Amino acid sequence: MFIRIEPSSSVPIYRQIADQIRYQIAAGILKEGDKVPSVRELAAQLAVNQNTILKVYNELCRENILKIERGEGTFVSSGRQDIPMDERKEMVAGPLREAAVLAMQLDIPIEQAADLFRKEYDKINSQRTKGQNEGGTKEQTDV
Amino acid sequence: MTEAAIEIKDLHFSYGRKKVLTGVNLDVPAGSIFGFLGRNGAGKTTLIKTLLGLQKPSAGKGSILGLDCFEHALEVRKRIGYMAEDQQMYGWMRVGQIINWVAGFYPNWDMTFTDELVDILRLSKNTKVKALSKGQNSSLALLLALGHHPELVILDDPTLGLDPIARKDFLRHVIELLQSNNVTVFFSSHLLYEIEPVADHIAILDAGVIRKTGKTENLRDSVRKFLLSPKSEADFSNIGGLLDVMHSGDSVSVTIEDCTDEKRSQLQAHSANGMTETALNLDEIFEAYVIGNKGELLATG
Repeated sequence: MFIRIEPSSSVPIYRQIADQIRYQIAAGILKEGDKVPSVRELAAQLAVNQNTILKVYNELCRENILKIERGEGTFVSSGRQDIPMDERKEMVAGPLREAAVLAMQLDIPIEQAADLFRKEYDKINSQRTKGQNEGGTKEQTDV
Repeated sequence: MTEAAIEIKDLHFSYGRKKVLTGVNLDVPAGSIFGFLGRNGAGKTTLIKTLLGLQKPSAGKGSILGLDCFEHALEVRKRIGYMAEDQQMYGWMRVGQIINWVAGFYPNWDMTFTDELVDILRLSKNTKVKALSKGQNSSLALLLALGHHPELVILDDPTLGLDPIARKDFLRHVIELLQSNNVTVFFSSHLLYEIEPVADHIAILDAGVIRKTGKTENLRDSVRKFLLSPKSEADFSNIGGLLDVMHSGDSVSVTIEDCTDEKRSQLQAHSANGMTETALNLDEIFEAYVIGNKGELLATG
């Protein structure tokens, strides 16, 4: 599991880690049943206080996203289908908020700002489908 | 449970007429990793030396593990580990020799444990101390501070001069060797971004007093900076937690701690039109506490 802590972000570290795990599950990078590092392992890997990791794991366990199996370790207990659309939207809303502020400051009307988003989305989507056609075997997932 | 490993009450210390500590109050909870921040020359090392009983406070008191720092300095030293800033060790000794030498000072030294530590810290007993890299040097100093299973470890700027990789390695060792074993860690540094990921609590020392102390986890989202054009009669002084107020032309930037919606609306009321809110990075947060003017300039300006 790869987690990156952004040093200049104003988001507290525990929230950064929890959000990245939620995102990795919603994006299908982490799958149901995958084993995640123990509190000690992840704390050592990231050089972060063990209580911070414990707080993250406790929170994700309460949300039924992770599950602790006694003596076995900690596992992902939900798949991407279990992350509701609302929550996925909220993940996108954060970065969009910043883009909206920027668009407003630069006097870009809403229709054109929305157009920009659509263009960027299409660009990435066409690159992705191209990559998948060439790769051939990659599993297609419905959104 | 919330018993304090270190308790400091209104501690003062002066070198001659130069006042270094002017009323420090601090509680370090047992079992925590406590980040002790301050600029160079803020008095961090002075406070640590006073805690170790190397000098007598001019007023006030400090106690460690319930014992008075000065009265019971020897007893305290048996139960804590200490790593000095830029710790110098005899260069002609080999790692194994210096471990044996330091072990001689402690009746309860655990040689099996320090042998394990040599491996964990990737040291070799045959290396001469003067041949160690800076990172290895601090690993050895850490090992020497831990051999007698202290309940509390005081690390005075232990990562000073280490490159980013050696620094991260050192922090990992602190988490794995100390936090895992429930040892209280009192860790001084002048870098907030270094301390923040590892510390449960932090304190910022500046100009002889503690400017800020609290849990680390919400530090990042509690400090905010606002940019606004103030109404002519605007007065920010009644807003709690004011850290810094700066004028530039018609606009003012106001930095506040423990930012709440209530404080936001108080600020908004002083603004002629809208205001923008920005979060600060850790360096900026540190700066706001240490060199922020707390709105004092407003009175004269």
